[in-house]
Formats: sequence, C-alpha cells, structure tokens
Amino acid sequence: MGALAWLMMAIAIWHFTVFLPDRFWSGIVGAFLFSILGALAFGFAIHGLHVPGQDDTSLVTALEAVPGTALGLAVCWVLGVRSEAGEHRSDAFGRAA
Amino acid sequence: MTDRRRNLFILLLVAGLLLASGWVIATKDTKLGLDLRGGVELVYEAKPTPQQPVVDAEALDRSIDVMRERVDRLGVAEPEIQRSGEKQISVGLPDVANADEAVDQVGQVAQLYFYDWEPNVIGENGRPSPNDVEVTRGGEGGQAGVSGGHPLYDALQIALKRPVVKDGNNSHEGLWYAIDEKDKKVLAGPQEQRKDVADDLEDKQKPRRGEPAELTAEQAGRAKIVEVKEGTTLVRCEEPDREGDEDRPKEDCWFVLADNVALRGTEIKEPEQTYDDGPGGSGQPVVSFKFSDDGRKTWERVTKEIAERGSRNFVPGSDVPTASHHFAIVLDDELISVPYIDFQENPNGIDAANGSQIQGGFTLDSAQELANLLKTGALPVKLELISQSQVSATLGEQALDEGLLAGAAGFGIVALFLLVFYRILGVIAVLALTVYSAYFFALVKLIPITLTLPGIAGTILTIGVAADANIVIFERVKEEIRAGRSVMAGLAAGYKKGLTAIIDANVVTIMVAFILFVLATAGVKGFAFTLGVGTLVSLFTAVLFTQAIVGTLGRSKLLSSPSALGAGKPRKPITFDFMGWSKWFFSMSGVILLVCAIALAGKGIDFGIDFESGTRIRTALEQKVDENRVREVLAGVELDGGRSLADAEIQAIQDPGIGPNAFQVSTEKLAPDEVTVVEDALDNEIGIRGSPNTQSIGPTFGQTVAESAIVAIIASLLVISVYLALRFEWKYAVPVLIALAHDLLITTGVYALVGREVTTSTVAALLTILGFSLYDTIIVFDRIRENVPRMPRATYSQIVNRSMSEVIVRSLATTFTAGLPVLALMLFGGETLRDFAFALLVGTVSGTYSSVFIASQVLTHWKEREPLWRRRRALIAGEHGGVVPAYATGGAAATVEPEEPRRPRRALTAPDDPQRGVSREEFDEMVRDLHADPPPARTAVKEPPAPAPAPREPERAPDADPSELYMKGDGGTDGKKRPPRKPRNRKHGRPR
Repeated sequence: MGALAWLMMAIAIWHFTVFLPDRFWSGIVGAFLFSILGALAFGFAIHGLHVPGQDDTSLVTALEAVPGTALGLAVCWVLGVRSEAGEHRSDAFGRAA
Repeated sequence: MTDRRRNLFILLLVAGLLLASGWVIATKDTKLGLDLRGGVELVYEAKPTPQQPVVDAEALDRSIDVMRERVDRLGVAEPEIQRSGEKQISVGLPDVANADEAVDQVGQVAQLYFYDWEPNVIGENGRPSPNDVEVTRGGEGGQAGVSGGHPLYDALQIALKRPVVKDGNNSHEGLWYAIDEKDKKVLAGPQEQRKDVADDLEDKQKPRRGEPAELTAEQAGRAKIVEVKEGTTLVRCEEPDREGDEDRPKEDCWFVLADNVALRGTEIKEPEQTYDDGPGGSGQPVVSFKFSDDGRKTWERVTKEIAERGSRNFVPGSDVPTASHHFAIVLDDELISVPYIDFQENPNGIDAANGSQIQGGFTLDSAQELANLLKTGALPVKLELISQSQVSATLGEQALDEGLLAGAAGFGIVALFLLVFYRILGVIAVLALTVYSAYFFALVKLIPITLTLPGIAGTILTIGVAADANIVIFERVKEEIRAGRSVMAGLAAGYKKGLTAIIDANVVTIMVAFILFVLATAGVKGFAFTLGVGTLVSLFTAVLFTQAIVGTLGRSKLLSSPSALGAGKPRKPITFDFMGWSKWFFSMSGVILLVCAIALAGKGIDFGIDFESGTRIRTALEQKVDENRVREVLAGVELDGGRSLADAEIQAIQDPGIGPNAFQVSTEKLAPDEVTVVEDALDNEIGIRGSPNTQSIGPTFGQTVAESAIVAIIASLLVISVYLALRFEWKYAVPVLIALAHDLLITTGVYALVGREVTTSTVAALLTILGFSLYDTIIVFDRIRENVPRMPRATYSQIVNRSMSEVIVRSLATTFTAGLPVLALMLFGGETLRDFAFALLVGTVSGTYSSVFIASQVLTHWKEREPLWRRRRALIAGEHGGVVPAYATGGAAATVEPEEPRRPRRALTAPDDPQRGVSREEFDEMVRDLHADPPPARTAVKEPPAPAPAPREPERAPDADPSELYMKGDGGTDGKKRPPRKPRNRKHGRPR
C-alpha cells in the first residue's frame, strides 16, 4: 500500500513538470520514469528496503514520496542538460548533432 | 463478386443466422451461475502430499475426477467443477442449501490408514510402551474425553523427542509447526514446508474485518518453528457419538503415533454403509468393506500379530477386551475407531475373505459419508478450502432480474442515443444491435456460457462496444459528407477509413479479454469470456451487417439526403487549442492524483473479505430487532478453541433480495460447521427467514485474486505495447501506458476517497478499464497517425490539435455509449453490479479524459523532441514571429491525400446495374487509374481558419524528411546539390 501511495504521489507531481522547460533527459517520458524511480527508491531507502503495508501507511507515507520525486526529476534534468550540452559541443566540431 | 451480390450474401447470412439464433434461444436452456440461481460455491487450493509432492495439472485433473464422483453421490444436478488458476479448483453446486455437507464430502482428502495401535502409541518419554496401559489407554482406545490423550502442545513436545524413521511405511514426511513456549500454545501448523508455517504466522498477524489479529507481533516474534520428523505423526482422538450434538467443538485431544502404517486405504474395496446386525451386533450404522488381494494378506498378518499379543497379555481372571490389543483406523489424521481383536475368537487373525467393517460411533449420515469417501478414493492432493459462499435462490433470482433490467435499460438508452444522433443510420445501428443481442444470447445458450453477474455486466458493456463501432463509422461518414462527398461516396469512405480504427481498438479489447480469461481467477473469467465473444460478434454485426444494409439502401431515397444521416448542416469547426491548454489539463490530473494519493495514504483502501479473509453472513430475521440484540445472541455462541463472536461487525442492511429485517454479520473466517452454529443460534433466538447467504474467504484467496490480476495487467500491457508498436510506432505505446496508469490510479484513488469496498468485482472492473481506456486512446491516435502524412508542413502539435478537433465528437460519443450501459448497471444492477459499475464509471470518464488530455499531450511533447519535428516547429515559429499557431495556417495547413496502395487489377465483372455498364467499385478503380480522382482527394484543401491559398504539394506526403519540402533546390540535409528527378511513369516504372 505504501508503494502505491508513493507511486500515486510521484505521478501526481510529474503532471506539474509541464510548467518547466522541457530539458529533461528523454523529455516528459524520462521525467515520468525518473519521478517514479526517485519516489520508490527514496521510500525504500528510508524504510530499510521494506514497503509499509496497509496498516502502516499514513499521510506521512504519501509525503515521503515528495523528496524522492524531486530528486528523481532533478537527476533527469541534469542528465538532460548535460546531454544537450554534449549535442552543442558536437555541433561546434562540425559533426551532426 | 459484385457489391450487390456481396451485400445480398451478407444479408442472407445474417437472416439465416438470426433464424438459427431464434431456434437456439427457443429450445436451449440458459445456464445460470450460482450467483443467479443460488447454491454453494467452494474454492479449494491444492497442496502437495507425500504421495504427490508436486501439484501439477494431472494431479488437479485426477482430483477433479474424484470430486466429481463425490458430488454425483451427493445427488447434485449440474455441478461445475473446474480448475481455476494454477493450483485452485472451484466447485459450484447449484441448489445445494447445506454448505457443511458439501464441504465435508467434496474436498476431504480421505487418506485412510490402519495402524497396529499398541506398538505405535508413543509415551511421554518419546518411546512406545505396548504393555503400559497409561500410554496405550488399554480398552478405552483413543476415545476423546475418556482416553486421556494429550493437548496438542503436549503431544507435540512428545513428538519432538522422536528421531527420524524412514522405513517406507510412513504416511508423510516431516511436519512443521510454530509454537509459543511461553504460553504453551501451538500457533500454526501442521505444514509440509517450513515456509508455509512462516506464511501462516504472518497471516495470523493481520487483523481481519476490523477484529484484532489472531497473533500479536510479540507472540509471533517469540514463535518457534519446529519439525516433527518423518516417522512420527499426531492423530486427533476419536470423537464419541455426536448424534444430535454435531455442532459441539472437537476436543483438544491428541495421540502421538509412530508413523508405521499397517494398511492403506488403497488396499480396501467395495466400502458401503451397513448395520452391525450380526450375532451380538449393536445394530448401529457401520462401514463394511472388502480387501484387495494384497490387503487381505496384510490384514490377516497384522490381526494375527495383534491377537497373539493379546493372548500373551491375557491373565486368567481378567476379561478379554482388557487384555486384547487394538488396531486404529485413521482418516485424515483423525481416529475413526480403535477396535480390539478378540484373540479368543480370532486366534489366527481375522479372515479377510469376507471383508471387515469399521465401527466408530457413526450416525447413519456419517457412516454413509465415510463409505462414499472410501468409494471414490483419496484425493491425490491436499485441498484447502480458501473460499466458500452460499447464495440463496431468492437472492439469485433477484440478481438475475436486476441484471436483465439493467441490460434492457442499457440497450434502450443506447438505442435512443443512436436514433437521435444518427437518424436513418441510427435505425440501421439499432437493427444491428438487435441482431447482435440475438446472436449473443444464442451463443450464450449454445456454447453454453454460464451466465453470472459479472458475465451480465460484460454483456451489457458489449452493447456499448457494439454501438461504439457504429459511431466510429458514422462520425466518419458524416465527416466525409460534410467535406463535400456525395452520400454514397461518404458512406464508402466512412466505412473504409473507420474500419482501421475499429479493428485496432477491438483487437486490443479482444486481447485484453483473452489475457484476462487465461490468467484471471474464476469470477473474472466469465466476464472476460463474454466480453471477448461479444466483441467478436459485434465486429460482424456493427461493420459487415450495417455495411451490407447501407450498400443495399444506398441508392434509395432513404439515404439520398445528408440530413437523413445527421450530416445536413456543416458543423462549425472546433478550434479549441487542446495542446495549448494541456498544461492546465495536466495540472488538473495532478491535483486529482494528489488528492487520491492523500486519501489512499490517509484513509487506506477498504478491502472486502475477498482480500482480507473472513466470513460474512447476510440473513433476514423473523423478528424486528436491533444490532444489540443480534450482538447479544452472537456473544453467547462458543466456537472452536474458546473463540467467540463478541467482536463481530454487525450491520442492519437494506436488501430486498434478502428480505426485511436483514442483517450482515462480518467476522474472522469461520469453518463451515461454525457458520452453521452461528446460523442455528440466530434461528433459535430470533428466527431466520429463508436461507442465509454466507461467504467465507481464506487469506490465500484474495492474495491469489490480486496476484492473478497483477499478472493479467502486466501481460495485457506487454501485449498491447507490442501491438501498438507494430501497428503504430513504438513511441505511441508509451503515452498509452502512461494514460492507463493514470486511469487505474485515479480509479483506485477514488475508491479510497469515497471509502467503497474493493472486491474481486472491482478488480475485474479495473482490468476492464484497461480495455476502455485503450479503445478511446487508439481512436485518437489512429487519427493522428492518419493526419501525419496528410499534413507534411505542420508541426506535431498542430497535427494533434487538428486530429483532436476531428475526433472529439466521435470520442465523446463513444464514451457516452459506453457510459450509458454502465450507468444502467449503476441504476438497475443491484448491489453487486453497482459496485462493478461504479469502478467502470470512474474508469470510463477517466479513460476518455486521459485519451484526449493526457496521452496525446505526452505523445506530442515527446515527438516534438525529434529533430524532424523540432525543425518544423522552428520553421513555423520563424514564420509567425516566434509563435506556433494552434492550428496550421497558410502553407502549413495544406493537406495531401497519401497515395493508396494499388490493388491488383481485376477483370471487369458483371455490373450491379446493367444500365451502368460496370460496378461502382470498378468505376471508382478506373477513375483512380486515370488519375482523375475527384476532389478533395488530390487537391490541397485549406484549414478552416486559414485564408491563404494552398501551395502545390508533392504527390506523396514526404513526412519522413520535411527538408525535402522546404529545402528543395538547396540540397538535402547534407547540403549537396542533386539533379532534379525525372518523373516516372507510374504504370510501367519507365521515364515518361
């Protein structure tokens, strides 16, 4: 149940990435994957690789997904920016971007 | 074959099939499921036994054969026994009111063993003492109450002292238990595997139906898992005569035996219930039987040994029964009888030529039951009852009436919608729906499909699916006519172009239905089957049949006017900027999901007993009482192990199918005999009206349903992704999956938000949402796919905007027709179908929303990152001062008709109409061959808001490389100049 709450929260937050410039690695789909991975990884990490069950899931469990999702999206963004920079460097050397 | 002949053939075929359907409907009976006719449904999970260490398909089939024979002996008409999933067997017993008897008879393993008693009874020191009466209990045998057997915990302590003995005579391998040494209690077991005991412990820590868990974490934490090694077994004491006191809980009385089997149940034959009416007989019911050849020899040898020991034990002056030794008959680890061998009457053992008999305080029923069990033989696997439900015939009848009413209402509303929206075409569609309904009903009777409540829901949904196919075509026809085609040309083009979308959408639905049927559990299977069959039949009636009617009526006055088809007035083009607004739609979804996530985490999901395990009894009472009175009665009920129903959840319910003063009692899972105890208590104190409806679900049932649903979802997604990647492009599959996740999560979240109970029906509905959501998304994507080569100078967002504006009415209409039957289910479908319909309604609305506002937007964002589309976007933005218009304007609005694949030339055939000379189809083909296809096929057309004239475009849409369009003469992407290509003769491939 905890994992479902993390997943739902991550996807909810992902919906708001459309307000950011599309510089994510692999675009909106990359952001989708990284937000989910980030939320799940963070959740697992703070619960010691254990998923809270129905009785252990509370409002806090859902909020635990927020930093993970933000982290995942940040990683995706950095990867995207680096990838773009790589493309520009290629252009500078006259190769196809 | 000419068009006219083809149409005539189809119409004759439809008429013939309709007649056949009428005959089938009139002559065949409808096979109703238990939920519609009343009866008992038992679901068993197979567990391995030493004789059958692996539960495979063959073992399940053999078990089913044995169970079928047992059910036949119960005298049940039309039982349904089938495999369900990998390890489950579902047994449907229509019209059976007594679940207890069914449970006792059908699923009992019936492993019968004979033991030489005295040498095998183990004393407290862990060793046998054949002559120590304190250990063997002498003449009392193993009777509970008088024998002084041990409580289970103590018996286990004795058994744990025993070493491994492997001599080939054992009934089983080692057995595992969990014990609490502090409280001296057995917490779980026996199980053949250590892992299973650990699982049992985990299950017992979960609270069920609001009641505290059987074990606290502390108790489970100090549980010790122990093994009774092979060669030792624990048997429950023989119960004394239970005549008139069948509800009394069994005593905690056990013996430890060296597992040295003397004779097995497989070595006896012809068991039957008789009476002990020989000389000096008691006249009581007994079970007599004969032996196989090997069994006879063994029996004589063993009884001779027992008699000799009794003789040696005899002290003059004592009586024979006290001195005699015994043998024990054990059925499924319970002592049936421990008779002695009279060494004076049988000094050389018992002659087995005339067979033998088992006496054991039998009632007539229990003796017959045992005889029947022995007749059918033992089950090859151990069966654990994981779900048991009993539906009264009255409730079943009411559910059927409600289902039929919902079906009729669904049909009526859809028909009305079609007539209002599509007029003459609507009449044709309603006719097709009627034919579809007749075919489907005939198939249900012919196959036969057992009609269950979820099955009825599936049927009602297929009405929507069948109407959807017509809507897709009719909207296309209207579009073509409004674009300037004649009615006939519009009809032809509408059917042709609409068919691709219909096939894609229906193939996906059929794939989902197939996967559900293969992977899901029994309840979902019925639904999946009806959905799959219904979709196939609807393809035939909605496409072929209506096309044949339209083709036949095409030249009549009926279809001559566009207004007769609902395409009279040109529709004002939709210019809504779907892509521009996408951020706000995304935000709306995000907010909904946030609320859902908070509700899910804060309130949790109310899993029904299907998942949580437990027993639910719904019954009407004779007297008008309140919950407290019911609680008071239940508090006095004593269950096995000293448990009570003090914490049971009691609710007054309104259900006309059950009757007035109806109550629902929800509690932890009760054994079938305990359910009877509860019902008897209510009946005696308050009075039960009619027969109660009960449902008992074990902890593994819900787990199996959930696991099979997850597997079905993953399998569906994989297959659908592959299909979409092949039919569209792999990038189209990803937004579809994201939209599906959106719909499933929103539906789940709404369940958490409103606190509705999640049942197995909800799982079926969730899986159905997959199909719905896909259907809608595919309709939208199909148009995008079609428009991409037609708009070679537009940006992807402009193409999507235009596609959306073209299909939005169609998309809303298809959702409306799918939603209408669901609404009918909600309104008229009764309690069970209402649950199902609620999930479907939420899923359908969410599915439409996600197809239009999520999937297409994700696809656009993603595609516009590709260099090709990025370049187009930059170009268009450059032309419009850095802004990309929502809809293509000027040159970008130009559309070209992609060249159709050429069909092989055919010889001219006889015309439909002799005056015309050639058939319509041949005429059209000739026109195409002469490059004289009438507008708008090859003429560039303007986007409605764009006033600029369309430039000349190349013949083929060069979507793969737009630079060829814009940079002609400047070279290709590599910048090199190329000589202009000479036009080639299309017919012969040579330069003109």
